[in-house]
Amino acid sequence: MVGKLPSTLALLLALISAGAALAGTADLKPHKIGPKDKCPVCGMFVSKFPDFAAEIQFKDGAVVHFDGAKDMFTYYLNLSRYAPGRKTADIGAVFVTDYYDLAKVDGLSAHYVVGSDVYGPMGRELIPFGSESKAGDFRKDHRGKRTIRLRDVTPILLKQLD
Amino acid sequence: MAHMIERHRHIIDFTLATLLRRKGKNGGLLLVYTLIIFVLASVIFFTEAIKREAMLVLRDSPEIIVQRTLAGRYQTVPISWCDGIGSIRGVSSVQPRLWGYHFDRTRRANYTFMVPAQAPPQSGHVDLGSAVARIQGATAGDTIALQGHDGAPRAFTVRKVLESESQLLTADLILISERDYRDFSGLPAGQATDLVLQVRNQREYATIVEKIARMHHDARPILRSEILRTYDAVFDWRSGVMIVIFSAAALAFLIFAWDKATGLSADERTEIGILKAVGWESSDILLMKFWEGTAISLTAFMVGTILAYVHVFLTSATLFAPVLKGWSTLYPYFRLTPWLDFRQVATLFLLTVVPYTITTIVPSWRAATIDPDVVMR
Repeated sequence: MVGKLPSTLALLLALISAGAALAGTADLKPHKIGPKDKCPVCGMFVSKFPDFAAEIQFKDGAVVHFDGAKDMFTYYLNLSRYAPGRKTADIGAVFVTDYYDLAKVDGLSAHYVVGSDVYGPMGRELIPFGSESKAGDFRKDHRGKRTIRLRDVTPILLKQLD
Repeated sequence: MAHMIERHRHIIDFTLATLLRRKGKNGGLLLVYTLIIFVLASVIFFTEAIKREAMLVLRDSPEIIVQRTLAGRYQTVPISWCDGIGSIRGVSSVQPRLWGYHFDRTRRANYTFMVPAQAPPQSGHVDLGSAVARIQGATAGDTIALQGHDGAPRAFTVRKVLESESQLLTADLILISERDYRDFSGLPAGQATDLVLQVRNQREYATIVEKIARMHHDARPILRSEILRTYDAVFDWRSGVMIVIFSAAALAFLIFAWDKATGLSADERTEIGILKAVGWESSDILLMKFWEGTAISLTAFMVGTILAYVHVFLTSATLFAPVLKGWSTLYPYFRLTPWLDFRQVATLFLLTVVPYTITTIVPSWRAATIDPDVVMR
């Protein structure tokens, strides 16, 4: 009973925010990573790499943790394989870890730097930032190739990173 | 099963009786053996405990400290640096710190002055560490006088005496307000002792340090990991010195033990022969020798380890603290938090008890397999 409370709460929050298409992100809060949470894409324990962690929250309260933005996008762009029966519209919020603050920021509006000299637990990564200026500074300091947004992420790009 | 235990019990009984029969020789061996283990265990316990204490202190220390150097010597840092350094990406905060040392000539003691970031005492008041309070003989509400940088004495009222949870951290500390400290130490306005940086992502340390060095050529950024490494190296070096000093003793023991363990005396050979003649099997003799080795080395190990524990944690390592602590002269009373690492004890055990026990078995096995008639003759 007690254990159900957070998920019920998340569901309630999701329902409240269901009206506005993506406004859900503003209301949903990032979840704490549990010691048993595994990345559904690569199978690694996420709690060992909190600095790169990402998560997807579905509107029904389900939460999936990832050990990097790359795996999160792999999952996001291929829901039919990793979460059969769910659609992109079921996603309530996406969170990624800002490189500088190590705080979870909205993954849908974040800026990502690719081609930098910073490697995540799964090798080459998309390094997330909450603002464009941060991404720009990082790109300069760490020889990043370019800054991209969510809409620029494609399966082809992810394949290049692997 | 019961029969097995009974057999071992009888053999141990017999072994102990044999050992007691040669009190002088075995007692001497036990004494030297215990001493060696005591020394080794003391060194291990002490260095580990003091390292832990240092880690405890440094755990809460800032990720990056920025100092300034002039002609290679330490200088105060202009507070105006904060803006530039604070704007570096990845730095979440920059705080100037004010602190320093003070030698009290009248009482011949060193104090550490510090302006705390949170809840500093108001002007004219100070908080004293436990050792300072004892040296000054002051309690809360008393007034103490300290000579400032210009030679003029200044009076402070003691706000409180700091609780000493970690002796290393607070014993010699005096907390003071910023205004009083600048007046007392002569530190000019606009200057700080050093700057402390909070950086969330440790992957950025190298980049930030590089940027600071580029921004101010006389800046000297220090990473917490470097401080930790230095502490580690210093304590490892000190314990190394101790080990080297005592390795001579250890070597002497080794020769002694080797001689005792490998070469069986004529007495012992005859004894083995007699035992075989009265019907003991070779395995019984080996068992007896095994228990003999175990009895001596286990006793030495336990007594030595317990003595070392008492020595290090209850008497503050009086015997070799001067070598190991070095700067400990500052602290009239300094007690380490007791801490026992099972792995270290196990290592010590494996390095002392096991080899000794094994070396005693081999020669007895040789003696035990020879014809009793030849051995006795």
